[in-house]
Amino acid sequence: MMNSLWIAKTGMTAQQTQLDVISHNLSNVSTTGYKRNSAVFQDLIYQNLRQVGAQTTEENQLPTGMHLGLGVNVVATSRNFTQGSLQQSGNSLDVAIDGNGFFEVQLPDGTTGYTRDGSFKLDSQGRLVTSTGLPIAPGVTVPADAKSISISETGLVSVTVAGNPTLQQVGQLAMSSFVNSAGLEPAGQNLYRESAASGAPQQAEPGTNGLGIIKQGFLENSNVNVVEELVNMIQTQRAYEMNSKAIQTSDQMLAKLSQL
Amino acid sequence: MDRIIYTSMTGASAAAQRQAVLANNLANASTTGFRAEMSNFRSVPLQGSGATTRVFALEATSGHVDTPGPAQTTGRPLDAMANGNAWFAVQGLDGTESYTRAGSFQVTNAGQLVTSTGLAVLSDGGAPLDIPQGAEVVLGADGTVSARVAGQPPQAVGRLKLATPGAEDPLQRGDDGLFRTASGEPMAADPNARLNAGVLEGSNVNAVECMVGMIAASRQFEQQMRLLSTAESDDKSAGQLLSLNG
Repeated sequence: MMNSLWIAKTGMTAQQTQLDVISHNLSNVSTTGYKRNSAVFQDLIYQNLRQVGAQTTEENQLPTGMHLGLGVNVVATSRNFTQGSLQQSGNSLDVAIDGNGFFEVQLPDGTTGYTRDGSFKLDSQGRLVTSTGLPIAPGVTVPADAKSISISETGLVSVTVAGNPTLQQVGQLAMSSFVNSAGLEPAGQNLYRESAASGAPQQAEPGTNGLGIIKQGFLENSNVNVVEELVNMIQTQRAYEMNSKAIQTSDQMLAKLSQL
Repeated sequence: MDRIIYTSMTGASAAAQRQAVLANNLANASTTGFRAEMSNFRSVPLQGSGATTRVFALEATSGHVDTPGPAQTTGRPLDAMANGNAWFAVQGLDGTESYTRAGSFQVTNAGQLVTSTGLAVLSDGGAPLDIPQGAEVVLGADGTVSARVAGQPPQAVGRLKLATPGAEDPLQRGDDGLFRTASGEPMAADPNARLNAGVLEGSNVNAVECMVGMIAASRQFEQQMRLLSTAESDDKSAGQLLSLNG
């Protein structure tokens, strides 16, 4: 039947995926530490129906060939790890990473998750946990009689206790970086998992080995640019419309053919 | 039977193929660095004894449109758009040096600079580029790749191979969507080529032109259909004239 029907279908499908990605970005515009995604398009393979330069006679060559492209494909969703803006929250348990790196989180199955979301809380045992209750690795416990908590730029957690003016160190936050952080597998709940593409985590103290520093009392906003997403949305819609027009036109041609 | 039906059939099938080329261009209206496919009709006269009255139409693709696509700022440090008519050199799956305008690069877990489909990006020496662990990659305007590990001065890793095709050895699209030289020889690196980092090149498909082309192809197809039905009614009349029952 008509090739163009299927080609335009790939175009509509790809634009639909693009819209899914855009909607996901827009819905996470206020998610702490969210990194925006973008769909990467690639043209599908080409059918070489007549090879350009083939001999037509002993002396003559075909001046033009016949290549039919088969449409478009979404090959990847690429995550953009640029820094989100830092927002002061004033909460002493809120921390933001200024620079590269991820906090480590102990997942219920024993493996390690990675997050940029630093809106930490304390659980009933005084452990430092994420807002979903997952403990921060390597484990920081704040004593119940702590009066104030301070987290240094290098991740040192110290408290003051009532009646004792000296700071007591209660733990050290660890951070990890990846060679290819775009290859991390998103696990939802602001968490990422290590994957074969991301490489092994390089654990270090904040501020060293290319890792960013920790800012207490700040949260990292998502790096979604609303204007950009809306412009992308308009473009996606128009491209979708044009591809649907191509399907319509191909259909009309088929109708003419069947009226013969 | 009148042979006009065969002639107009070639016209109709060529119009349908043009529709496929236009649909492919439209489907790739958002593909990074895509080059629109050009199509044209070719006339093929049927040579034989007697007068050459019948000329068939064939659809051909005569290459790609070479104008740069629109620049889209992404701010991502590994996105790059080559200025003018320069191309990025990558290693195709068949091992040959291929060229692309899609400058959405990534770093693999092994620290190699690759395209979004995982093909190695080549340096001006023709070798893949290795990025040190934990480094932030910065692309310079002349294709210089430098890696910066925080707290240390940036170190040069190499230079992307940017090549500009000449008229004597133009680029042709391969079946995998990558471009290669017509002669098969790799191009020399162009020392004057420049790129813009943090920018991606959009597709150079002209949507208006495509839509108009689609309408034209569709009308042309209709005309061929009309010719076919005219041929049929001609045939019928001739049959009536010649029938014994009159």
